[in-house]
Amino acid sequence: MHTANLKQKNRLLVFCSILVGIVCIAIFWYLSYFVRTRSTETINEVGNMYMNGLNERVTMHFRTSMDYRFNQLQEIIDELPPEDATSTTKLHAYLSDAAEKHDLKQLVLCGSDGWLDSLYGGQIKMYAQDLFVEALNDGDRWVATGFDENGETILLLGIPINYPMFDGTPSCGLIAGMPLEYLQQLLDTDDSLVSSHIIRRDGSYSLRSDNSNATTFLERLQELAQPDEMEMLSHYNQEFLQAMENGQNYSVMITLSGERNHWYCTKLPYSNWYLTTRMPFGLLDESVNQLSRSSMNMAFLGCAILLIGLLVLFICYNDINKTQMQELMRAQREAENANKAKSDFLSSMSHDIRTPMNAIVGMTAIATANIDNKQQLQNCLGKIALSSKHLLGLINDVLDMSKIESGKLNMNIDQISLREVMDSIVSIVQPQMRAKKQTFNVSIHDISTENVCCDSVRLNQVLLNLLSNAIKFTPEKGTITLVLYQDESEKGDDYVQIHLEVHDTGYGMSPEFCKRIFDSFSREDTDRVHKTEGTGLGMAITKYIIDTMGGTISVESEQGKGSTFYVSLDLQKASVQEMDMVLPPWRMLLVDDDPLLCESATAALLDIGVQAESVMDGETAVKLVQKRHQQHEDFQIILLDWKLPGINGVETAKEIRHILGDNVPIMLISAYDWSEIESDAREAGINGFICKPLFKSTLYYGLRPYAETQNDEPAQPKKKVSNRDFTGKKILLAEDNDLNWEIAEALLTEEGLELDWAENGQVCVEMFQQSEVGYYDAILMDIRMPVLTGYGAAEAIRSLSRPDAKTIPIIAMTADAFAEDIQRCLDCGMNAHIAKPIDVHDVLTQLDKYMK
Amino acid sequence: MTLEECYAALEGSYTDAIGRLRSEKLVRKFAIKFLADPSFQLLEDSLASQDYSEAFRASHTIKGVCQNLAFNKLGNSSDQLTESLRGGWTDAAAGLVEQVRADYQQTINALRQLDAE
Repeated sequence: MHTANLKQKNRLLVFCSILVGIVCIAIFWYLSYFVRTRSTETINEVGNMYMNGLNERVTMHFRTSMDYRFNQLQEIIDELPPEDATSTTKLHAYLSDAAEKHDLKQLVLCGSDGWLDSLYGGQIKMYAQDLFVEALNDGDRWVATGFDENGETILLLGIPINYPMFDGTPSCGLIAGMPLEYLQQLLDTDDSLVSSHIIRRDGSYSLRSDNSNATTFLERLQELAQPDEMEMLSHYNQEFLQAMENGQNYSVMITLSGERNHWYCTKLPYSNWYLTTRMPFGLLDESVNQLSRSSMNMAFLGCAILLIGLLVLFICYNDINKTQMQELMRAQREAENANKAKSDFLSSMSHDIRTPMNAIVGMTAIATANIDNKQQLQNCLGKIALSSKHLLGLINDVLDMSKIESGKLNMNIDQISLREVMDSIVSIVQPQMRAKKQTFNVSIHDISTENVCCDSVRLNQVLLNLLSNAIKFTPEKGTITLVLYQDESEKGDDYVQIHLEVHDTGYGMSPEFCKRIFDSFSREDTDRVHKTEGTGLGMAITKYIIDTMGGTISVESEQGKGSTFYVSLDLQKASVQEMDMVLPPWRMLLVDDDPLLCESATAALLDIGVQAESVMDGETAVKLVQKRHQQHEDFQIILLDWKLPGINGVETAKEIRHILGDNVPIMLISAYDWSEIESDAREAGINGFICKPLFKSTLYYGLRPYAETQNDEPAQPKKKVSNRDFTGKKILLAEDNDLNWEIAEALLTEEGLELDWAENGQVCVEMFQQSEVGYYDAILMDIRMPVLTGYGAAEAIRSLSRPDAKTIPIIAMTADAFAEDIQRCLDCGMNAHIAKPIDVHDVLTQLDKYMK
Repeated sequence: MTLEECYAALEGSYTDAIGRLRSEKLVRKFAIKFLADPSFQLLEDSLASQDYSEAFRASHTIKGVCQNLAFNKLGNSSDQLTESLRGGWTDAAAGLVEQVRADYQQTINALRQLDAE
């Protein structure tokens, strides 16, 4: 369906582009056609104007030239007017003289009947003599051509005058003959484009300036025309003759032999002549054609460039489109895969959920049936509790995952102590490992900063996930090792890089699975794994948490040999000043079989002022103690590992006690719960226990009590939060539980604070309302209270219209320590949040921070 | 029975309690006062009347007190109960209520013994 759709779309695109191409070509073609037509029209117009001007000029020239000649004749006449011409002979002699003087070729007197008396230059013949005579009779000046005695064509000018003829009758005019060249000069226009001729009204040429032999206009046209053009020529000829008949000017465009010719004909004065001017458009046409050709070419070139541009654009667009489609398809495939993974997960989850559910339902039924059998009942309940716990774990994982998927996993960054984190994690996982008889090693070294900023709950979750996986997939009597060390961070001096490693000697994983282990909803598909409970979400959650913290996690694994997870995190160093930890300069003996532990512990001890020597086993330790005893340089304090090669810690302690007596404190270091060996150890003379992992602070806090007893110094006063004196400060404490109130009161009164008790939120608001302004210095607020919760109480107090309602510090004290709860406290107008159980140090810190 | 033994019997952390309250006298005083704390009765009553939001609050209070006194075992079970009741009644809560009852009994027994001496 998609491909069909795609094909259709492609067809549409191709069709569109072709359409655009055609439209482009059409527009350009029309444009160039239009330009060409317009330019032809313009050329014609220009030609018309040009020829009109030319003809006018020639006509004017003709008129002035003729007028000049006529004036000459008039002068001759004026010199001897007819009244004075008493003697015919004298007159004729005078005229003949004048003709010679004025350089006339002939001079003739014309009678009103047309009889010609030649006075000078011999006889002449006139062309269309009757027209000439008629004009003279009418008293008009006239110009025509004629022939002299030799038959040469000459120009004749006639002027009306009544001179007596030879026979005594009065003449109607005097006619002068002149060379034809005189007329021809007028037509020479120095213009190579056009040629001008004089034509008579009957269509015959009177004077022509080209080399043609044609005698009439029609003949001339025929000369120029192709045989197939003959027909229309007579029509033009007819038109021309008609125009001359009517005395009109005539202009025509005739295409002959493929060449356009423009004829322009205007009437000449003093004659029945027309001046015809012909302009062949050959040259002009050629240049116009060239112009239009080049403009056409340019147009097509432009069109082609445009089309190519469009094509390129289209191809690019298509390309982009295609990539987008591919992206879309890929995204769709991914979404489908994710969907499939989810539905796979759901089906396996429903199996995983159903199994403990079945157990619960079944066991409940058995328990109901055996309600009186207490042992059976207990057995059933135990199994139900176990299955429920398992189920709860599954559900928690799924909830976490859904939180992650919706991007709502909040980090609750706080200052944490790595020592506390490790202590708590060790105490959580130890019982499980003991149950599986696994060996648990904790190795901690190179710790420069114990206090860092991190979400301790999430960090715990990561460690717990890794360790419980290790426990789950390591067979009985296997070994699990947790390593922690620090490095310089690339993020700068404010940061420290912590490395966590979890090694196990478990089943290991296939290389293929190692690649997928951090994906959601994945579990290795082997029978053994199917028997192991879990959602397959743990590692995805772990990975996500670490990603959110900006760290990295990687895994190395070999099937049958075990796996190692490496986590590294760049954490900000906590801003709190680490306590100045100094112990007396004891001579100390440290006995442990782990050289790494010896080294790091010795270094840590040196940092807090203790000179420690380390040995690796019990026997050596006893010998060394003996030797020092003899030198009267007894060790002042001794740390013993419980598990030692050869004689164990307790035995070693016994022997050392034997040598040193009861004065020297001997401590046992153990990674395990020591409750089982405690009585034995006490009996053997062990004074106390220090729990692995050995942080600097673990050592400090573990050993400090002995510093006090030894030096008989009073216990170091607990370090004050600040130098501030809280004496007399009044605190309103809202707390619904008597016992909690009493505890808080006992602790805070000791710091000099005066406390008033509000049993619930409502009472708290009322007490505050009734107090004088500024009476209370701060409010400590429980959240879960009857009548009105802490949230409501805080909001109510903040909305009071007292000057101190907005400013009095309100600090939440509650056992809810989720990020959301803290945020809600702040949203309700509280200043800070302290998690229960109550810690005086925390309370005072916050009070110090917010109290005036 | 010493206070430390009492803490061992109710599976709490003596050192934590001392660390928080500073003196054995105070710890002993408050520990014995726990016997008179009405929160557990409130929990039972509200469960009986199926007022689960009140039961949540009661359980929350028990958790708070236990954390203050470092009664870890009861603190843990009441914490779990609190979470299971946070959004109303859940099936998991039934089992946890039993657990809290058992742990409360264990705690009370130890404290009574301490009080008796």
